Amino acid sequence: MSLVRKLKPDRNITGALIPLSMLPIFGVTSLVFGFSAGLIILAVMVWAYALFYLYVFLRTRNWPHLFVSVWAAFLGYMLYILTMYVGTNEIAPEFGIAYFSGLLFFGFGLVYLVVTRKLKWRGREIFELAGEPVEDTGNGYTDRPRPVGKVAYSPEQIRSFARFAARHLIALPYYTSKNITLVPIKMGDEFGRLLGLIGDYRDATWVNFDIDGEVSVHIAQKDYLEYRQALAFDQLCASLGQVFIDFCELHNKGEGVRIIDRMDDLKIAVFS
Amino acid sequence: MDFITAAIYGSLLSKGYAEDIFALLVNYQAISASEVAARLNLHIKTAQDFLETLAQLGVLAKEEVLEKKRPYYRYSLQQKRIAIDIDLMQVKYKPAQDSLTWRIREKENAGARFAVARSDDYITSVTIWTGQGREREERKIKLTTPQGKFLYYLPFPKAMPLSIADIIQKAGLDETLAPEILDLVQMLEKYAVIDKII
Repeated sequence: MSLVRKLKPDRNITGALIPLSMLPIFGVTSLVFGFSAGLIILAVMVWAYALFYLYVFLRTRNWPHLFVSVWAAFLGYMLYILTMYVGTNEIAPEFGIAYFSGLLFFGFGLVYLVVTRKLKWRGREIFELAGEPVEDTGNGYTDRPRPVGKVAYSPEQIRSFARFAARHLIALPYYTSKNITLVPIKMGDEFGRLLGLIGDYRDATWVNFDIDGEVSVHIAQKDYLEYRQALAFDQLCASLGQVFIDFCELHNKGEGVRIIDRMDDLKIAVFS
Repeated sequence: MDFITAAIYGSLLSKGYAEDIFALLVNYQAISASEVAARLNLHIKTAQDFLETLAQLGVLAKEEVLEKKRPYYRYSLQQKRIAIDIDLMQVKYKPAQDSLTWRIREKENAGARFAVARSDDYITSVTIWTGQGREREERKIKLTTPQGKFLYYLPFPKAMPLSIADIIQKAGLDETLAPEILDLVQMLEKYAVIDKII
């Protein structure tokens, strides 16, 4: 498999920025209101983080996100407990044991989940796979969707594929009475998309399956500009649609693992 | 009757004094513009324009009369009924023999914005910007469902252009809808949203 990237290198730091922003807030709060208040604010922010990951789990059924949510809830609780020891010169050994055993367990789990890409939103893989067969350049961008074909699957089979795509963070599904729309999300974009901060999903890149099996594709200009070259837009749309049609076919044959293998083979950085 | 003639009739009949003038024309054998003006307390030019237009339409006959003073016209009614009968089919677009074979696609950098229906595969409207600088104006074209479906299947810029007939077929539309499709194509071509490849 070719490892020549069609996408520009990822320099988006949104994903790291949000958790890191907790640190200056903690610092400023501690400075103004004292260390205890700083710890409480930090605990509240970590719990908010836990809630967000719980929401991601409920929306996608991706179990690793539940793990992160539990870890964040635990961390927040430990920070809260820590406030009781502020001003004293001793920390109860029970706290230390709980803290270190928790740190060890969750730390190991987290590293495993990150390294195995189970926490990774696969948007970049999808865009790389879509760009892979497109050699022609020449732009031709339009914000119209493109009909790319038809699949002979029942709505239930398509729904099942959509659930699979959500569970493996390949794309976020949106359901209406007539359509199932899959929106691929790149790492760092998940906060904005899931919290509804970056506009309507219909303006994003999506692949739509209607109840008759008609497949159509829309690529957002922002995502198109992520490619190094102005790839032939018509071919790119057709290719993106084909990626999902192939994935749907593999999933319905019970070979979902091949989809994950295909994306893992691209060896895209875990935070990208 | 064509639309322009019907519009002239409509304009005449909409005047507040139209019924009064017709009453004079029906009841008098012949009448001059000054007599009408004096009788109905109108300006003579108003009465003259009204009668002259009716004469041009053939509703009245006019006869030049010479007395001691300068000549003038006397008008007499020529027809007892006025019927406005417009064949609406006269404005139906008749697609040229080859118009359905025109090969088209979206123009590159057309600058148009397409709004897609949430529930189905069709475009609901196209927004076009015309003019430059302060003269720049936004024009939103609302589409009928067949037009929206047609536009959904319009080839992208740089893609292989397709004939209008092929796109109609791809969109699953009936060929009887061709006139409204052609109307849209011509309008979008005028606004440089569509490329017609000869």
